[in-house]
Amino acid sequence: MGISDVIPVPVAIDEEIEKWTIFGQPVAEVWFTTTEKIHQIIQMGPIKNIFNWGRKNSVYFLMQPMGCCGVEMFVFGAAPYDSDRFGCIPRNTPRQTDVMIISGYLTRKYLPVFKNLWEQMPEPKWCIAIGECAISGGPFYDSYNIVQNTGDYFPIDVFIPGCPPRPEQFLEGLMNLQEKIKQRKDRRDY
Amino acid sequence: MDGIIEIITQFAAQEPAIFALIIGIIGAAVLSAVVNVGAMLVIWADRKVMSDFCNRFGPNRVGGRWGILQLGADAIKLFTKEDVIPAGVDKGVYVWAPIIASAGTMLVAAAIPFGALHIGGKNYPLVVANMDISAFYVEAALSIMSIAVFMAGYSSNNKYSILGGFRGVARMIAYEVPMGVCVISVAVMAHSLNLVEIVESQTVWYAFAQPLGFIIFIIALVTDLGRVPFDQSEAEEEIICGYSTEYSGIRWGLLYFQEYNNFLLGSILLTLLFLGGWHGPIIPIPILDMISPMIWLLMKVIIVIWFIILIRASLFRLRIDQVTDLGWKWMLPLSLLNLGWAVLIGSYFA
Amino acid sequence: MTNASEVLSSIQSAFPGAVLDSRVESDRRLWATIDSKKILDVCKHLTAKLDFDHYSGSAGVDWMARNEMEVVEIMTSHGAHQVVAMLKVKTPRDNPSVPSLVPLYWNANWYEREIWEMLGINMEGHPELYPLLLSDPLVGSWPWRKDFKGYPDLTTGERAVAITTPEGYTDYYFPPTQAEVEAGTVVAERPKYPTFLEREEREIKSDSEMIMHLGPQHAMVPGPFLLDILVEGERVKKAFLDIGYIHKGIEKIMENRSWLQGITYTDRMCYVASLTNNECYCGAVEKILGLEVPERAQYIRVILEELSRIQSHLIGTGEFLTLIAGVGFAPWQYMIIDRERIISLIESVTGARLTHTFVRFGGVRNDLPEGFAEQCRKDLPYMKSRIEEFIDLFAQDPIYHARMENIGSISPETGKRLGCSGPVLRATGVAYDMRKEDPYLVYPELDFKIITGTRGDSADRIDVRLREMLESIHIIEQCLDKIPSGPIKTEAKIPKKVPAGEAYYRVEDPRGEMGMYVISDGGDKPYRVKVRGPFYATFQTLTPLLEGVYIADAVAIAGSMDGCPSESDR
Repeated sequence: MGISDVIPVPVAIDEEIEKWTIFGQPVAEVWFTTTEKIHQIIQMGPIKNIFNWGRKNSVYFLMQPMGCCGVEMFVFGAAPYDSDRFGCIPRNTPRQTDVMIISGYLTRKYLPVFKNLWEQMPEPKWCIAIGECAISGGPFYDSYNIVQNTGDYFPIDVFIPGCPPRPEQFLEGLMNLQEKIKQRKDRRDY
Repeated sequence: MDGIIEIITQFAAQEPAIFALIIGIIGAAVLSAVVNVGAMLVIWADRKVMSDFCNRFGPNRVGGRWGILQLGADAIKLFTKEDVIPAGVDKGVYVWAPIIASAGTMLVAAAIPFGALHIGGKNYPLVVANMDISAFYVEAALSIMSIAVFMAGYSSNNKYSILGGFRGVARMIAYEVPMGVCVISVAVMAHSLNLVEIVESQTVWYAFAQPLGFIIFIIALVTDLGRVPFDQSEAEEEIICGYSTEYSGIRWGLLYFQEYNNFLLGSILLTLLFLGGWHGPIIPIPILDMISPMIWLLMKVIIVIWFIILIRASLFRLRIDQVTDLGWKWMLPLSLLNLGWAVLIGSYFA
Repeated sequence: MTNASEVLSSIQSAFPGAVLDSRVESDRRLWATIDSKKILDVCKHLTAKLDFDHYSGSAGVDWMARNEMEVVEIMTSHGAHQVVAMLKVKTPRDNPSVPSLVPLYWNANWYEREIWEMLGINMEGHPELYPLLLSDPLVGSWPWRKDFKGYPDLTTGERAVAITTPEGYTDYYFPPTQAEVEAGTVVAERPKYPTFLEREEREIKSDSEMIMHLGPQHAMVPGPFLLDILVEGERVKKAFLDIGYIHKGIEKIMENRSWLQGITYTDRMCYVASLTNNECYCGAVEKILGLEVPERAQYIRVILEELSRIQSHLIGTGEFLTLIAGVGFAPWQYMIIDRERIISLIESVTGARLTHTFVRFGGVRNDLPEGFAEQCRKDLPYMKSRIEEFIDLFAQDPIYHARMENIGSISPETGKRLGCSGPVLRATGVAYDMRKEDPYLVYPELDFKIITGTRGDSADRIDVRLREMLESIHIIEQCLDKIPSGPIKTEAKIPKKVPAGEAYYRVEDPRGEMGMYVISDGGDKPYRVKVRGPFYATFQTLTPLLEGVYIADAVAIAGSMDGCPSESDR
């Protein structure tokens, strides 16, 4: 890994920088070990709590209506239930979202697309499975086209049962996710 | 205290270049802090006022019942997000786009007077660089954002982004001309291109002296800011997030932030040019009388911002061809008409 | 007025020997088995001579015991008469093949592609026999055949195997299960056809054109579907549609559930119009059973279906508004707030917000609660004033008119030819409404108008929906006045096993004509349920409409169709 991976400089300058030394060590190496150390300090200290406070209060979800729960997701984001109160607003590009809401049946045809969307989201990210279909296949448990266990493909933090769950349940699930983020008990240990 | 001042004056005499540099850095830090905190408040206001128009509450969970710390939470989250540079992007351009956007905003901020101090019956404008052509300079520097938009759109290697970038540039070109002509009409009336002098010369607000120019300037400003009904470059339902589709984390945060920086600065510019700037009756209370010009400016700016947010809540989005049509076929001729009017009235009263 | 027996005799006299078997169920239903060599001629004759200008869909049925397959063509008319001709074409089960009707009816395209991919019936003369709903690995296993055993292995959830594509994306492959291997339904050789991506990339003619994906995840879509547009600059040159991203196989699943359980699946077909879906299925089964629904139950059904229509139109219009104005647009939030009132009215009766399972065979599940009529009388005038406000708002907005007028216009002739229905067709000026056309429940006793537009463009479609809501409110108010007291369920005992028979029942869904074709073989489960969804037909008309418009218009047109991909995918 060179400097040019982090800061956009021409490769020639990058090679030049790699020749520099500080305290008898290459500059690049010192840079990366220092940042690594900083990361470690952040990981254990109260700084992490501040980070998680920010993360928990600003959960942007991916606008992705998929089934009956998708309609309730509209309502959840719109005026009557107003997820914006919790700092939770819909975004349309996976690059700018923090939580993926699996709002319905996941079909064989859709699974690769969905996985791509999930992989495009930057860390830290969370996943909420909403409705019976997303949790276990629900009424479509014996369908030839439905993926039964979304939990096998996505690290799901919160399951919200219901067919479809009411928007109030969406809010409860969101608050549970916030609590998980705060206590650092989410599936991927952020 | 006197000792410190003496040391500073000595230092300034010995090393004028370094002294100027230090003062400049301090000034830039203060300026960017003021502008960015202002922009944060604008974002917060945007969310809250929008919520109000939509019969919602808006953020109200952090920072008291008004959700004033919501932007803090958003900023912390964006800062600690993974820094994704997608494969296939033009890396240099991709990385520099948000930085150029921020630099452009700061260039604008440098020449904008943020108010005036009223001391001893005289107004002392608060402006970092009080240059002679500041009105034109500010108007031109506001469109640096469009270059950043195009850089972001072009470098992202994404079809939505490139369309967003193209739309942004097409829109900017169509509306920059009428906007410039409006600024010229104001300058013709004020006999100056200096924003401070323009404000001081407004015995009658230019919004009343040239209403046509005022309306055209508002429309062109909303276009420049890229807000509904002119938000084609990031029309969410058509091209996802437009030019910023591939941006994430703090890079997106910066781009997003600059829009609101521009929003704030553009509103201030509108107030200065057309709404009499800091003009207003002086409040006859000891300390308040000193800052009363700033209070007036702030109140006018808040009303302008509120109005532009109201537009977003109540208008449909135009199509890109209609936008350019409107710009070239209506705004430009009308702004020239307004220029003629300004010359007539200006020379009559002069 | 033409009736079914006249139609039958006309066919018999024009083509002696073509009708192998026939049954006149009533004045409005004709069942006939046609020789597969003559079916094209018969259809031509029906269209040209007898005003059968509406090809309403087709269904494939696998008769495994008789070792034959059947394709049922549903032919009817746009208001000239009310006869629905169900023309069956039989074909042997090994190497099945029937002539395609695409040369005659443009909209037969999707129906026949579906029959091909699900049942493996070859459609002779079909120009583009590519899979529509299924993902490529499933094509060739013909899932709707009765001997298909490809259900997932329930013991292990993890079936999909991740593979990395050359572009670096993750793709999934589903290896065959043990059951599939034992049953021998593993596809030996897959049919050869170009993939969706290859097909659309063929159309790129120059460097200045590119394909833009609007979906499956996109702010525009009301549910996952893939709308690809070939653009040059801002102009759309051609559009391609790929659906099936939420294909659940409801029709197959319903064959494996009891008759009563089937109602729950109709809920989940189109979740914003589940009451009309319930009605359609229950109506078809009641027809086979010969049940009479008590009058009070009919009134309750009408009230709830009209309420359901209002809330469906509200959310459909609201979503459309976000597409042309952005999510910050306040009126769409107002529509959602108003929709909550209607939802709470429905909820007070059915107990659920979206999936009700309220309509039952021969009646409804429960009576109206106490105070429902008063609450309705309080809320409906309010809704009326709100909707009138919305109508005013759109009528006065100059930007709305600049954006929406003459965008995506359909002429009445085109509308009929494309096979769309509901508000999309009514906006063109064709007064085609199942509530008048094929009356069900107590609609004949109620006074209401069919709302029509004049230009058939996007603005008209929205306007028709808004004014239809006013009409629905008018209907509900009449029902509240007229509703009699009495039982809410039929006295007759509903048997577990429905006697053998078949029925086709049509209702007016918020999105248009919905029909269900239910076959019973005398068992405790339906033998076959075919859903003729309204949006499936409307969806198909989207691609030709998008040619030559701007990208922003493409989004607006797609939105003005009031999409429900869940129902078109089933």
